[in-house]
Amino acid sequence: MEIVKRTKKIQYIIVIILILGVCFFLSLSAGKFPLHVPDLFRGDETALSVFWTLRFPRSCMAVIAGFGLGVVGIVYQTIFQNPLAAPDIIGVSAGACGGAAFGILFCAGGTVGVTLCAFAGSVIAVISALGLSMVVRGKSHLSIVLSGLAVQSLAQTVLMMLKLMADPEKELAAIEYWIMGSLNAITAKDIMFPIGVTAICMMILICLYRQIFLLSLHEDEATLLGVSVGILRLVILLLATLVVAAIVSVTGVIGFVGLVAPHCARLLLKNLCVETLVLSGLIGSVLLLVADILARTVAKSELPVSVFTSLIGVPFLVWLMVRKEKN
Amino acid sequence: MKEYNTIQRERECFFEIHNITAGYGKKEMIHNINFSLNSHTLTCLIGANGSGKTTLLKSIANQLSHQGTCSIEGESLEQKSVKELARDVSYIPQKTGISISMSVLDVVLMGYNARLKLLENPSKKQIQQACEVLSKIGLEKEIDTDYLNLSEGQKQLVILARMMIENTKILLLDEPDSALDVPNRFRMMSNIRHMVDTEEKAGILCLHDPMLALEFCDQLVLLKAGKCIGILYPKKDSIGVMEKAFCQVYGNVSLMECFDKEGKRHFSMIGI
Repeated sequence: MEIVKRTKKIQYIIVIILILGVCFFLSLSAGKFPLHVPDLFRGDETALSVFWTLRFPRSCMAVIAGFGLGVVGIVYQTIFQNPLAAPDIIGVSAGACGGAAFGILFCAGGTVGVTLCAFAGSVIAVISALGLSMVVRGKSHLSIVLSGLAVQSLAQTVLMMLKLMADPEKELAAIEYWIMGSLNAITAKDIMFPIGVTAICMMILICLYRQIFLLSLHEDEATLLGVSVGILRLVILLLATLVVAAIVSVTGVIGFVGLVAPHCARLLLKNLCVETLVLSGLIGSVLLLVADILARTVAKSELPVSVFTSLIGVPFLVWLMVRKEKN
Repeated sequence: MKEYNTIQRERECFFEIHNITAGYGKKEMIHNINFSLNSHTLTCLIGANGSGKTTLLKSIANQLSHQGTCSIEGESLEQKSVKELARDVSYIPQKTGISISMSVLDVVLMGYNARLKLLENPSKKQIQQACEVLSKIGLEKEIDTDYLNLSEGQKQLVILARMMIENTKILLLDEPDSALDVPNRFRMMSNIRHMVDTEEKAGILCLHDPMLALEFCDQLVLLKAGKCIGILYPKKDSIGVMEKAFCQVYGNVSLMECFDKEGKRHFSMIGI
């Protein structure tokens, strides 16, 4: 019985990987410049340059960002024992926005400068949220949520102040566009950092899956099962949040992937297990890839990717819920 | 000299609870509780709601800051690391905190955590053992079921199975029978009794049903408003002494002896 279940789980994962492969291929070929496979093999320089500097990095980023957000989403929902918990809960995105706005206003370094500022902003936000929760010394994860809320609103205030200072024509527009989130203009240089961080943190998180599930229990119960709740929760949250910070600092805020992918994975696999983590990541990748393909093909100009993550994600989630009800 | 005596005395006992005082915030819930347990025995905490039973259990499990010490074979529980404590003490709270869909088997496998390394997974043998324990308590069909879809009674049995897997010296159970029907109640108690009888273990539990306590436990600690007002030994004490003690806790009650077909002594209690 155990083995049958296992095969079924693996089947789901294989199917999603196949879909991901197809989407990846589509993503490589979608865009203003028409890319054809024969051109690439013939060594057409423009085609190769478009492929390596634009399409390939962009598609890779979509896959890795989707995967990261999907896995992190499930980690957050488990640790906070709340199906609505998302990385935003401890102020990552708000911090990144504040950092990015700061970068746009005061850093001369172009996109790299903005990315660095956004990353710094989100890491500062998270560290202050977790630090604050340790000062409060509440017994439960609720103190983390409360400190997160405080930091989040503080970051939003900073963002507002920065917006007020910004030149409305150029800088304000740049800030707003950054906040909307997009995979536009991502080059190979940009993706090395988030891919590295995501890969390392993901590996550690997936290896720690048993501990993550144990953290979903009440604190007393987990402690008496031999879990050092405080330190472990801190480490896991820090790892998970680093992933989000690394991704968001490059892409801007991407909504909904971290919320919908875990739910889809859980509805498909029912009981939480390590496969759920992987599946959630893969679903996140597919969702983000498809959303990104649509974002650059639907209208003449690029649209924010978040528009499509929710436009695709919501009906899919509803369909899964209806299907679950019927069963 | 005094210290030496204390240590000496603790060595003689399997598990000793010494001067425990604890509470929430400034409010003191239990005051100066002392008792000791031998191995192979079950102790039941008896008392009305709010008399401090759960507070005492939580203090023993070191989940509540308290004064006084609990020591197992002379070693103080307060000084143990999280893992060491988890290897010595297992605890079933009134309500478990599992809020996410998980298979029953995975819940039971959590019991191995204290003996596994951080990144280690349960071995095949351990999984096999967990399945055996589940079939022992009659839940072999539910191995892959979502824990959250079980009935409350089944949930309590699964958590008991997890405790069996934890295999610790001290078992703490806070109303493990609250959602069970009569046959399952007896089944659970005989499982606990069996664990304690066959291995070097001792258990402390809270029960609301004094009959069950009299039937299965070796020692009853009576609590009233956070203080220990007496300790009863159902196998030795006379019925008069016990009735008097129960009256202090429950008000006017009458305790009666009855014998089954094999001549074994049981008790029955009614309120007056």
